[in-house]
Parts: sequence; structure tokens; C-alpha cells
Amino acid sequence: MTDTFDKKAFRAEMAAWLEANCPKSQRQPINQAEQIWGGRRRRFPSADAQAWFEAARDRGFTAPEWPEQYGGAGFSSEQAKILRQEMKRLGCRPPLYELGIWMLGPALLVYGNEAQKQQHLRAICRGEVRWAQGYSEPGSGSDLASLRTKAEDKGDHFLVNGTKIWTTKADECDWIFCLVRTDEEAPKQQGISFLLIDMATEGVSTTPIPLINGDSEFCQTFFDNVRVPKENLVGELNKGWSVAKELLKHERKMMSNTDDMIEQLDFDLVESAKANFGTDSDGALQSAELRSRIAQHLMRDRAVKQLGERVFWQTKAGQLDQRLPLLLKHLGTSEVQVADELVLEVLGKAGLRMADTQGESDNVKLTKRWAFNKALTIAGGTSEIQLNIIAKRALGLPSGEGAA
Amino acid sequence: MILNEEQRMLQQSVADFLDAEAPITALRTLRDAPPEQSFDASLWRQMVELGLPALTVPEAYGGVELGWMGLGAVCQEAGRRLSASPLISSAVLAQSVVLHCASLSQRELLLPAMVSGDWTASLALDDGSHFQGISTSCSVSEGRLNGTKYLVMDAAQASRLLVVAQREDTGLGVAVIDVDTDGVSVVPVRLMDGRGYADIQLENVAVAETDWLAGDDVVAGLERALAIATVALAAEMMGGARELLERTVAYLCEREQFGVKIGTFQALQHRCAQLYCDLELAQSAVDAALTALDYGSDDIAAMASAAKAMANDCFQSMSNQAVQLHGGMGVTDEMDIGLFLKRSRVCNQLLGDADWHRRRFAAAQGF
Repeated sequence: MTDTFDKKAFRAEMAAWLEANCPKSQRQPINQAEQIWGGRRRRFPSADAQAWFEAARDRGFTAPEWPEQYGGAGFSSEQAKILRQEMKRLGCRPPLYELGIWMLGPALLVYGNEAQKQQHLRAICRGEVRWAQGYSEPGSGSDLASLRTKAEDKGDHFLVNGTKIWTTKADECDWIFCLVRTDEEAPKQQGISFLLIDMATEGVSTTPIPLINGDSEFCQTFFDNVRVPKENLVGELNKGWSVAKELLKHERKMMSNTDDMIEQLDFDLVESAKANFGTDSDGALQSAELRSRIAQHLMRDRAVKQLGERVFWQTKAGQLDQRLPLLLKHLGTSEVQVADELVLEVLGKAGLRMADTQGESDNVKLTKRWAFNKALTIAGGTSEIQLNIIAKRALGLPSGEGAA
Repeated sequence: MILNEEQRMLQQSVADFLDAEAPITALRTLRDAPPEQSFDASLWRQMVELGLPALTVPEAYGGVELGWMGLGAVCQEAGRRLSASPLISSAVLAQSVVLHCASLSQRELLLPAMVSGDWTASLALDDGSHFQGISTSCSVSEGRLNGTKYLVMDAAQASRLLVVAQREDTGLGVAVIDVDTDGVSVVPVRLMDGRGYADIQLENVAVAETDWLAGDDVVAGLERALAIATVALAAEMMGGARELLERTVAYLCEREQFGVKIGTFQALQHRCAQLYCDLELAQSAVDAALTALDYGSDDIAAMASAAKAMANDCFQSMSNQAVQLHGGMGVTDEMDIGLFLKRSRVCNQLLGDADWHRRRFAAAQGF
């Protein structure tokens, strides 16, 4: 152990601070409507929610691992882990939900220049700006590098034309980070740049896309002769693919951390199964088949978290097996879908409604989550792309013709 | 969840040792020997000299307490080479039964002798075709033990049997029985994994009061010992599954059909990638259980069951796919793949199949 800090004291300090600053009402499972997202449309569902957000923001806890000068708490990964554990133990809600924290910020810390870090990082931590991601296009999904939205060099600015799809909640966002083509002649991955675009700029428009869960989480965003200042280029011109890869690493990590990603609803699969299917005198679920499948799911679900623990401890010891992080997104998201299917099965006919006449009942929320979570194995690199990556980078299987 | 420096060195030295002394050819030799030979005694003697039976035993009884993660690494290396030895049957399972079920004086008497390799023992528990936890129809009446025990690991070469039986008034007990005792008959059997097992017949075997392990809570001790051995066996299985995946990937990188390496085909790449995901997932459950043995946990039974159920599923599908992906060569005895396939099925049944462990996990979670 090379730790120079007293873990026990640090844990106690975190717990005491959380006890003092996180109101009781903010220690309940959170539903989607209660999530606080950044930006001009930021709103607080209650005074307690606002107090908790502001306390966390001022302590740097919306992005604990970022340097203090940019609004973080300057924590090491070990310290941040202890904070996460204490928040989880006390049931504290995440104070802020923001793509800028999960994805853009970590990439800016690596590739951004000082002016960009100054301009954007603090605003992200403080929940002042909400970011959208502009990667996929209607014709460029898994084959992302074939993207065609172009940015032409017009001397003092770039002129952007094209369209981005699956831009999460873009209709509520303030800024969008985009991959754009800046060299049409170069091989496809080498003519791409990474650009930050203020969505209030003339020529940017957004349309929501209705999804199978009845909501419109995703949008399509259009760029029609949009003028973007030169200083909004992150990293070098035509080297945007490196920035994108750094960011995708964080997206994969974020999507592996399914507990944070997915709406946590107050539903106990095991208790509900027992109530609906009955138990024998030993307390065992009457349906042996369902019992076995729930047990298998719970084992695998635990093991996904244990795999995350292995990655954490290996990283800390400087012995990371580089293959392991590649597995987390595929394993984590598939297991979430297994859970969703079990939920639907346990609910039976009570889980078939996608809408209620009055408000949204818990069952409807569960059913909508089941439908929405079908996107988890598609967004952020489909499971098939993950398997391609694992086959080549983890197992060293040879590339064939036309394979990604 | 990770090995310390000392454990890594141990893993490497055991790997080197097994490569030299117990490669897969050694298993082929054993499988052709008469069934009385459960394992190669001279190999076991060398493993004792390496200190393997002492790894997790408290120093008071001659052990070195190197930790369960270290023991897991040793089991994994044995699994990679299908090395046959009483490592799990005696050094892990029987020794753990003594440690957790015996009185202090019995531990002081029995453990140092096992650690120093004077003799090995096997736990005689199952009396049916399926492992059922610690239940048995074997019983004692007026100091006489009667019953049968089915396919006890390495028993033909063990000096003592730890027989689980119903006692007249105190519930389940574990008796330490010398194999030469009158009324004990041992019928050696070689199973498809090439290793030695034995069916045990117990007919009016005299058991003295001092033969019974006399710890405070024998049933809890037995549960603990079984959980430990279950995790160790799961670790061995992960070694087998990992070896199979590496061999299979190497084969796909070398075998050509239609003018290309078959490893370029996406269907085969995805199958291997999924197998690798499931391998590391099961490995994580096994490592978590080993870590829980090192640091303590009130959840050890559930963690052991998760580890074994996942190891069973993983090793089984890995071995099926390894045969399939090796094509015609996969079904020849010349290739080692089939040896792993058969070991997987034996391991499935030892200490509980996947269904049994899922049921026990569910019970531990309150459903």
C-alpha cells in the first residue's frame, strides 16, 4: 500500500460531511423526474434538492476527481471511490446528471487547451451548461468514422453543415460536442476533427425522436451553415478521432456503471416474484424454473460488479490486465436487459401498460424502462462492435476483409 | 482481488514445477494405470515438499497462511495442466474439515501430519448420484457404522476417511476412520477424467467416541469446509477453461480453410469473445469468493455457490465450444481437448452441480 492518506479518517470525514449536507429527502431512490441536469433549463424539484445540489457543487463533489481549479474536489480515484461508497451507503442521490461530467470533461482534461478547460470545465461541474453528444449520423452508426457532417475552414471560423442523430435530449442542451469531417480526401479516420458548438448559434435546430417507450430521449440535430469559432476546435485539426476514442472509453465506462445510468426504481424483483408466484414451506419460490433464472441473473449481476472491482484493484496496483475493461460494457448492459425481462415476467399482465390515465404508476415506469433499456446494447458501441473489439484486442484474433 | 508479490512468485514456481513434473502426459499415464492408483504418490511427495498442503493452514499446525487467493492461483495452475493430485480432496477439503470440525487436541494431532505429507484423507459424504450438501443416510447404531459412500475422491490411496454419518443422539458427525479398519471395503473406480475415486462400503464398522471430530459446531464446520473446497475446485475449473480458450484461439489463428485463417470469421470471433466474457465473469465470482475467504464475510456460502455455478456453466460451454472449434481434431484422443471436456463434467458433479448451487444461492438470498 502506497497510500499517504488515512482511509478510515477520510471515510469518516466523507460520511460526516454527507450526513450534514445531504437532506434526508435526498437519500431516497431517485426517479427520472427528480434528476437534476445542468444548463439553462436546470430546475429543482424541491428546495432540498437544490440545497443538496449546491452543497455538493460547492464542495467539488459533482466531479470529485477533477482538479480543484476547474471545480472538482481534486480526489484520487481511491478517494473518489470511498466517497461513492459512502454516498451509496447513505443512499445519497447523484447531485448532478451531466454528459459533460461523464464524457466531455475527461476528454477535455487530456486534449483541451487551457482556455478551453477554463471556459468549460467549471461551468460543467457547476451545472451551468448541459452538453449533448454529436457522434452518430443517420448513415454512420457502428461505422462511425464514415461520418459526413462537414466543417469547412473559412479563415476565421468553420462553416458546419450536416446532421447528427441520437443526440440525447438535445432539445434541452446548451452545447454539443461533435465529430466533423475537416478533410474529405484523407482516409476516413484521419479527416475528422472534434468541435464544440454552442447550440444557440444560428442554423442549429433539433427535433425529438419518439421511441418505443413512448418518450423522446433522443433527438436529431441539424446544422445549416453554422459558423463556429476556430478556438472551439479540441486537439489538432484532423486528429479528432483520438479525442473521440478517449471519450468513448469514458462512455463505455459510464455505460458499464449501470447503477448510475439506469433509473433506479423502488422494485424488489425477489420480493415481487415471491408475492406473485408464492413460496413453499421453506420460503423457496414455487416456480423452480424462475427461481433458477433469477438466481443465475443475480450471480452474474454481482459478478459484473466484481469484475469492476478486479479492474479497480489491478489498476491501483499497477497490474491492470488491459483486456478486462473492454468486457464491462457488453456484460453490464446485457445483464440489465436480463433483469428487465425478469421484471416483465414477474409483473405478468400488470406489466403490459406503457401509459396510465393518471400520472405514471410504478409498473408503467418499469415497463417503460424495459423498453428504453433496449437502447443500452446499441448506444455507445453496439454489443456486436464490443465483441469485435474483444475478439481483436483481447484475444488477438486476426482481421478479416471488411471487418470493423 | 489481486495476488500479492509472494503469491505471484508462488504461482510462477508452481506453474514451472507442474510443467516439468505434471504435464498433461502425466494424466494420460495415470488414466492407463490400475484404478487402485488415484494419484502419483511421488508427484504428491514433491508437492508436499513445495509446501502446497501448508498454504492456508494456521502456523500453529505447521502451515504458512499464505492466503486463499494464493491457493486459488495454485489450483488454477493445476487446472490448466489437468494435474491429478489430492490437492483439493485432502489438502483443501479434508484438512479444512479437520480445522473446522475437530477439537483443539485433534487438530494438533491430525493437521501437522497431513501438512507434512505423512498421509492423506478424503471426505466421505455423498451417498447418491447427486451431491446433496451435508445430508447422508449413513448412520451409527450401538457404536457400529453402516452405509455406503459413492465415488469418494482419491479414496483408494487415502490413509483415512472422514466419514459423515448420523449419530445416535448428537446429529451429524464426522468420524476419522482408518481405511484398514474391519468392515471398510474400498472399491477403486477410474472416472472419465482419468482420476481415481472409490466406492466405500461400511459394514458394522466399530467407531470409538474418540474417533468423532469433537469441535463445537460440527455442522457449521462442515458447511465452512465444503464452501472452501467448492471455491478451490471452481478455481481449478477456471484454469481448465482458460487453457481451453487459449488453445482454441491459437488454433483459429493457425487453421486455414477457404484460403484464410478461420479466426478471421466474425461468427467464430464473436463466439470466442463471448466465451472470454463469460470466463472473466466467472473468474471474478471465484476471485471474490477467494478474497472473502481471506478477509471474512458473512455471505461465504452464497459466494461459494455463485463461484461454483458460474464455473460449472463456463467450463462446460467452453469445453463444448473448444471441441467444436477444433473441428474433427477436437474429437480425437490425440488432442488434449477431450481430456478437459471430461474433466469439466466430473467437476460439475463434484461438490454440487449448477442447479444445486443456484438453489442454495436462492435459499441464502431468501427465495
